[in-house]
Amino acid sequence: MGDAILKVTDLKKHFIQGKGLMSFMQRQTIPAVDGVSFDVNTHETLGLVGESGCGKTTTGKLILKLSQPSSGNIVYDGIDIVPMSNREFRPMRSKIQMIFQDLDAALNPKMRIGQILGETIKIHNKHLDDSAVTARMYELLEMVNLKKNKLSNFPSELSGGEKRRVGIARTLSVNPKFIVADEPTSALDVSIQAQVINLMVDLQKQLGLSYLFITHDLRLMELVSHRVAVMYLGRIVEIGDAKKVAQHPRHPYTEILWSSLHVKQSAAALKVQQHNAKAGAAWDVFDFTEEDKGCRFAPRCPVFAEKGQPQACTQQSPTLQDCASGHKVACHFPL
Amino acid sequence: MNNSPLLKIEELRTYFYSRTKQAFIRSVDGVDLEVNKGDTLGIVGESGSGKSVSMLSIMGLIAARPGIITGQVWYQQEQARINLLAGLQDHVQVSKNDGRIMSVEKTDLAWQRRLEKNMLGIRGKEIAMIFQNPKSAMNPFFTIGHQIVENITRHTQYKSRKEAKERALYWLERVKIDSPQLRFYNYPYGLSGGMCQRAMIATALSSEAKLLIADEPTTGLDATIQARIADLLEELRAQTGVTIVLISHDMGVIGRLSNKIAVMYGGRVMESGPAQAVIDHADGKSHPYTEALLKSIPREDNMSSQGHLNSIDGEVLDTINVPRGCRFASRCQRINKSIEKMCLNEEPPLATVSDGHKIRCWHFAGV
Amino acid sequence: MTQYAQTQTTVSEYSELSILQRTDKRDIAYVVYGIVILLMVVCAYLMAIFGWLPHDPEEMQLELMLAGPGAPGHLLGTDFMGRDTLPRLILVIKAYFVPGLMYIAVAILLGGIFGILSGYYGNKYETVVTYITNIIDSFPRLILMLLVVAAFKPDIYYIMMVLGVTNAPLVSQLIKGKISMLRQKNFVESAIALGIPDARIIFKHILWFNCRSYLIIQATLGMGEAILLESALSYLGFGVQEPTPSWGNMVQQGANYLLQGQLWSSTIPAMAIMFTVLGFYLLGDGLNNMLEGKRQS
Ligand SMILES: Nc1ncnc2c1ncn2[C@@H]1O[C@H](COP(=O)(O)OP(=O)(O)O)[C@@H](O)[C@H]1O
Ligand SMILES: Nc1ncnc2c1ncn2[C@@H]1O[C@H](COP(=O)(O)OP(=O)(O)O)[C@@H](O)[C@H]1O
Ligand code: SF4
Ligand SMILES: [Mg+2]
Ligand SMILES: [Mg+2]
Repeated sequence: MGDAILKVTDLKKHFIQGKGLMSFMQRQTIPAVDGVSFDVNTHETLGLVGESGCGKTTTGKLILKLSQPSSGNIVYDGIDIVPMSNREFRPMRSKIQMIFQDLDAALNPKMRIGQILGETIKIHNKHLDDSAVTARMYELLEMVNLKKNKLSNFPSELSGGEKRRVGIARTLSVNPKFIVADEPTSALDVSIQAQVINLMVDLQKQLGLSYLFITHDLRLMELVSHRVAVMYLGRIVEIGDAKKVAQHPRHPYTEILWSSLHVKQSAAALKVQQHNAKAGAAWDVFDFTEEDKGCRFAPRCPVFAEKGQPQACTQQSPTLQDCASGHKVACHFPL
Repeated sequence: MNNSPLLKIEELRTYFYSRTKQAFIRSVDGVDLEVNKGDTLGIVGESGSGKSVSMLSIMGLIAARPGIITGQVWYQQEQARINLLAGLQDHVQVSKNDGRIMSVEKTDLAWQRRLEKNMLGIRGKEIAMIFQNPKSAMNPFFTIGHQIVENITRHTQYKSRKEAKERALYWLERVKIDSPQLRFYNYPYGLSGGMCQRAMIATALSSEAKLLIADEPTTGLDATIQARIADLLEELRAQTGVTIVLISHDMGVIGRLSNKIAVMYGGRVMESGPAQAVIDHADGKSHPYTEALLKSIPREDNMSSQGHLNSIDGEVLDTINVPRGCRFASRCQRINKSIEKMCLNEEPPLATVSDGHKIRCWHFAGV
Repeated sequence: MTQYAQTQTTVSEYSELSILQRTDKRDIAYVVYGIVILLMVVCAYLMAIFGWLPHDPEEMQLELMLAGPGAPGHLLGTDFMGRDTLPRLILVIKAYFVPGLMYIAVAILLGGIFGILSGYYGNKYETVVTYITNIIDSFPRLILMLLVVAAFKPDIYYIMMVLGVTNAPLVSQLIKGKISMLRQKNFVESAIALGIPDARIIFKHILWFNCRSYLIIQATLGMGEAILLESALSYLGFGVQEPTPSWGNMVQQGANYLLQGQLWSSTIPAMAIMFTVLGFYLLGDGLNNMLEGKRQS
């Protein structure tokens, strides 16, 4: 694989939110993304997995500069984009694109598909005349396997899979090199999901794209990504080669995630349930009003319980450490 | 009496009228199903295949008018067997010669009243339903405790508030909500998706219904939470013996929980039978659609050498212009020269291929 | 059993289902009625500016005071000074026309700016805009108008200006609501990500494609309301003053003679108000149902 096209270091985004009725008096900080670092190489797919609410979408939006990080660096192709103003960044927008989770997101409900595609083509290629724009539109439609007659339809007249294809065509219309794909298939059926995934894989080969592939579907992740980063409550807990992470997870959380796929749950996962019947999602279990200095996974962690709640886990936040070549884990007691 | 199924659906059709397209959307187009007592029937199929609409029709919850509904739904009560769609012929005139639906009653009041009359004492009490999106299915203005208590006092013998509250706490505990005493006073929006789904299951179970219809209970939840909801349903079924109709588009969930499976496509049941026969091909026979669905699950052994996943080409059937032949013909991989003509021109019958295993495909029609 | 699969269900087979189209037809009737009224208003305006009046509006025929409709030479009768009612009704439209448009322009411009500032640019301006719109909203309109009329002069331009300003919060709410709805769908974000300039997103994507029907409806309903409010003011004597005619003061003057059994000089302008306002309201309603679709309960 080539060298890193995107380097994210210690990225943080803290949302400040009012709490309860007296929201303007009582402010709460939500560290949605809290010190995330990873690289994405050219022609590579890096998977980003984690429960909903763990900060995956926020990370993606930060990379797109759709929201401003609280701190950290995002270096794209050697240029740090964090200090750039929106105006300075606009020419670079065509290089980094995002496929939004919501199928309808990219599509203005009142515009026809032709208008939607034509607009973005023209914005970035002002010199093109109408026939060249149409030719480019046909080219894009062919790339994503859509029929030409769809150009005159409104988004609401398309099926889910077709909407997703239009969304992909629209991002491709600006010739991006790097695409953040935020759960691109979560709203689609398995049969259609396979079509979209195949399309994305083909496009990567054809156009030399790099993907940050966000999903909570682990089976898909394992098959599509080259490397995978596992996120828990705003932090990356494990990162490494996709096959290795799937087969030999080192972080207890990764172990639980993967074992939930199997019909019979693994011993570790069952232990979590016995140890702690808390059924809620991660944010429910973790209370941010308390000082947070230990490992965020501790309240749900089977190893933590097993080892008799060691001091290290509650006092010291684990950092990502190499545990094998290219495989890092943030845990005091890796499996 | 005991051998007759708890729920028997015959030739159920539900059509909606699309004003923009000036035609009927044939969401459910002749569904036959049987659910025996104690069974878990899994209904799978791509979205838009009519899974939800068929269950909503049974419950009399199709609000959008003009929804044309025909067919029979036999529900076995303790003594009697009743038709939940009784009295339809007064509202929908079926033309004598070819069975086509001719007209619908012009006022929806009578229509609604008929539904209410048929469903009295059934909806909620005998048949309970769990919806895909628990946050929107639960009333945001009442605490979950209030909603469960109300359900209990209305449908069970626990009439006093004190008894009912005890019972509600029992059910909350039963679905493994931690600290039920606290959660009793929570509003639905204060709960996470998984927890809200549990509260919804508790509400549905609290009326001690005999039949539980679960419409995509795990869709949209995280993998870990999905697994736990599935565990929970399995456990409850084993303990209470409740009959479940489980709708999902996830073959994994269906395969894990159900002992009978029905595969729907374009408003029709394409295959139905015991789980071993449908998913594991115990009798070596399977419908091309089911086969394709199983193959498109992202799994290592479903990958081609170029790193491609198996997919079903084409789009989900448009239920306005239903083809004359087999509904699946345009996407079918197993269509071949010898039966092509039949596939394209005539709809195959639902043929029995082995004990309780039925397939709607010309490959098996001659058996 | 299989005949179902072979039938293509088309509407012609089900023509009995007339109920399906009933509501549509009603909306069309509304809009047609509204457009007829609108055309009449435009005709009247053109007649007034080109001076094609059926009669001299100032000429008094004292022998024909308070005549009913159909009096010789006076299609709609005369008023208490023997002036012909029809040309005076027409003249009022000329007086209303430009101020009415101005009112719409003010409401939409001001409301649009507020809506975009608070909806699109969010936090920074939201509080300020909320304060301003709340202040405007908390003043009773009629009283505000009376104050302005008292402070300056009872001129229709001032009245319409006040109306425009007081209607701005409503328009701003609509636009803000629409923007936050679109924002929720990531639609604005995706446009930003594609490098589409802000101005284009606001004007083309949001206002032109997603708000134009709202604004048209708002303008139509607003016109009806403007006529009603102005008439109320003039009837009370605070609005347009004699000798300039206005529908309000015409009703008021006629009303003095009601008890003497002279019905017509008051009811004719009153009916003009009723049919015109009704026309605008029905037009707005019909357009609303047709363009925005009915909310299904
Ligand atoms: N604009 C915002 N204001 C406040 N909190 C936010 C905002 N956006 C996201 N969050 C919070 O940040 C956390 C992470 O959200 P998100 O990145 O969407 O998670 P994911 O994509 O992994 O499901 C969530 O708890 C969410 O409530
Ligand atoms: N109220 C309605 N009006 C019109 N069409 C509807 C309505 N409800 C459902 N449909 C249509 O019926 C078809 C089947 O829907 P549904 O039963 O929800 O599918 P699923 O199998 O995904 O549950 C879809 O094509 C849907 O568009
Ligand atoms: S009937 Fe023909 S088209 Fe339909 S599933 Fe069978 S082989 Fe395929
Ligand atoms: Mg997300
Ligand atoms: Mg459904």
